[in-house]
Amino acid sequence: MRILICIDDTDNLESRGTGDLASEIARELELNGWGKSRYITRHQLLVHPDIPYTSHNSAMCFAADIEVSCLDRIIAYASAFLARESAAGSDPGLCVADVDRLASPDQLIAFGRKAKQSVVTMAEAYTLAEDLGVHLSEHGGTGQGVIGALAGAGLRLSGNDGRLKGHLAIETANGTVAVGDICAHPDVDEVRTLSGSLLAGAETVRLGDRVKTVLLNGKSVLLVVPVEGAPGGIGWRSCSKQQLKKY
Amino acid sequence: MWRINDRRERTFAGGNEDWPGAARMAARCAAFHPDVEEEQVADEDRSCYNCRYRRWTAASFVCGA
Repeated sequence: MRILICIDDTDNLESRGTGDLASEIARELELNGWGKSRYITRHQLLVHPDIPYTSHNSAMCFAADIEVSCLDRIIAYASAFLARESAAGSDPGLCVADVDRLASPDQLIAFGRKAKQSVVTMAEAYTLAEDLGVHLSEHGGTGQGVIGALAGAGLRLSGNDGRLKGHLAIETANGTVAVGDICAHPDVDEVRTLSGSLLAGAETVRLGDRVKTVLLNGKSVLLVVPVEGAPGGIGWRSCSKQQLKKY
Repeated sequence: MWRINDRRERTFAGGNEDWPGAARMAARCAAFHPDVEEEQVADEDRSCYNCRYRRWTAASFVCGA
């Protein structure tokens, strides 16, 4: 079965980040033989004076393919892990959604989009989670992180939100590499221009120092921009961090 | 480069797209501390936009250092 695991509001200004905790849960899921984890995505939620957040109000989510019999163990592990590892003063929330058995995927996606645009309440989150048959739990503090956890799962499910955690390590020849070789990386599905055009495998791209992909149409996509007058016929370069900020 | 908001907090006057300005401010800030990788958005490593102590607002950020 395919699940989404999303966590939010686990950190403070001195602690490790929520993404680090998500990575550890994903790693433990595999080490315990419960299933196979996929990449982690970061989802930006609304920044608003009425919303308590440490510095950025983002949720971290990953998908995993697991044995059905392992679902309860994974939820128990992640719950205990968040209760134990979340930072002092944080308000951690956990969402685990069984993608194939979601009562109404559109409603979960709509909730995620709503949480990017307006202030939503914990009561709304819990009501929707119950209606959809999604696990949603709080593990310290006010538990406010359940809102972001549910929203992050919806945004990941949408397939069109967020940046992938971490940078890609891809071997290049003097900084350039063919699109086909980029897509051979397990965490890259496509290479596209900022305007949306798909690049063919033979095209070459100059990669920056820290290359990152974004989630578009359910795929991990490396975005590139044209390089004018580039020597050797190299026509593209990976986007800068600044260019990826809006994702 | 700062404004004081209603809560008496320092708000970056350059907004959320003043990349050179945010880098200049961080260069002279003794409290700068890089945020975790996934929360960094500026290409300059040392930028207020990459600092753990910036708290994003709708139009800019508040400095919590």
